[in-house]
Amino acid sequence: MTNVLAINQLTYKHNLKTILKDVDLTLETGKIVGLLGENGAGKTTLMRLITGSAKGSGTIAVCGDSVATHHKSHISFTEQLRGFKPNTRIDRVANFYRTVYPDFDGQRFEELITFLQIDTSLKLGALSKGMKEKVVIALTLARQAQLYLLDEPFSGIDSMSRKRIISSIIKWKPEDATMVISDHYVSEIAPILDEVVIVKDQGIYAHKPSDAIREEFGIGIEAYYESLYERGVKHD
Amino acid sequence: MKFDDKVPIYYQIKNYLYHEMMTGALKPGDKLPAVRQLAVDLTVNVNTVQRALGEMITEGILESQRGKGNFVTMDEQRITQLKEQLVMEQLERVYEQLHALNLTDEQIIASLKQYIAQRGQRDDQRVSD
Repeated sequence: MTNVLAINQLTYKHNLKTILKDVDLTLETGKIVGLLGENGAGKTTLMRLITGSAKGSGTIAVCGDSVATHHKSHISFTEQLRGFKPNTRIDRVANFYRTVYPDFDGQRFEELITFLQIDTSLKLGALSKGMKEKVVIALTLARQAQLYLLDEPFSGIDSMSRKRIISSIIKWKPEDATMVISDHYVSEIAPILDEVVIVKDQGIYAHKPSDAIREEFGIGIEAYYESLYERGVKHD
Repeated sequence: MKFDDKVPIYYQIKNYLYHEMMTGALKPGDKLPAVRQLAVDLTVNVNTVQRALGEMITEGILESQRGKGNFVTMDEQRITQLKEQLVMEQLERVYEQLHALNLTDEQIIASLKQYIAQRGQRDDQRVSD
């Protein structure tokens, strides 16, 4: 099995504060990986380092390529569309994606739009939080990438939209591609995760196959995740 | 389908498919849905479905035909065996739990008979209501 991502001794500081320290992480192709950790643990920072939007020390190889400026061509990342004006229509945003990303597949986008029940004539400024997240997911999955990074795609959206998004992930993730989904609330996505990576104490605190956690400890992913935090509490 | 997060998902997928076979929703020789379709239907990972089906193929419950898909075995004997195995697994659980309550084998049998008799009456009443 080949690796889609290999991180070696990655350290990242921001304003003299160490966010991540000596991180090693290897991900195989074809997996769905849950990136778990508290707010502020460094999940988004780690994703930005992987895409090359942030720079740290150490090496990050995506599909064997360690040149940071090449990473974005292998990676489809959920961007929050902040660069677009609120009066931009969704189909205009899709046209922009089509122009910028050669791997943007119009056919896939159409299928995703239908499945996620999105009206592309709407303007970005008029979208509810759940609808905007669905648009972001459709744009992200419409690209044929090797690595997908979904940064908290379920925060603050209703359960029906969440179910649709989860189904679209199963339906549209290319077989060989790996998908990293960050979240601090795990129970709803637990059944679709191959592995979990837990970010804590400035590093990768644990990296395990989900079914191995269930088999080894007889507990669920959420209980396991919470137990790591309880162990860290000092009783004095 | 609702999963118990404490139990390996591949194991729960196998149990789900076993039950489909026992109830006749999946008959000998039936073709299973494609792996990705099963994953979508059950809201689980494609790799996990593949692992479950792989184990069922090794067990001889499913047969994989290259390029055509996965089929329930036509071997009736194997299905009978599977049914016995599932029944034994359930009995084992009940037996162990009753044993843990310090019941002897005779007491377990007596309790089970009593339970079935009572349960039968209750179900009859419900029908006549």
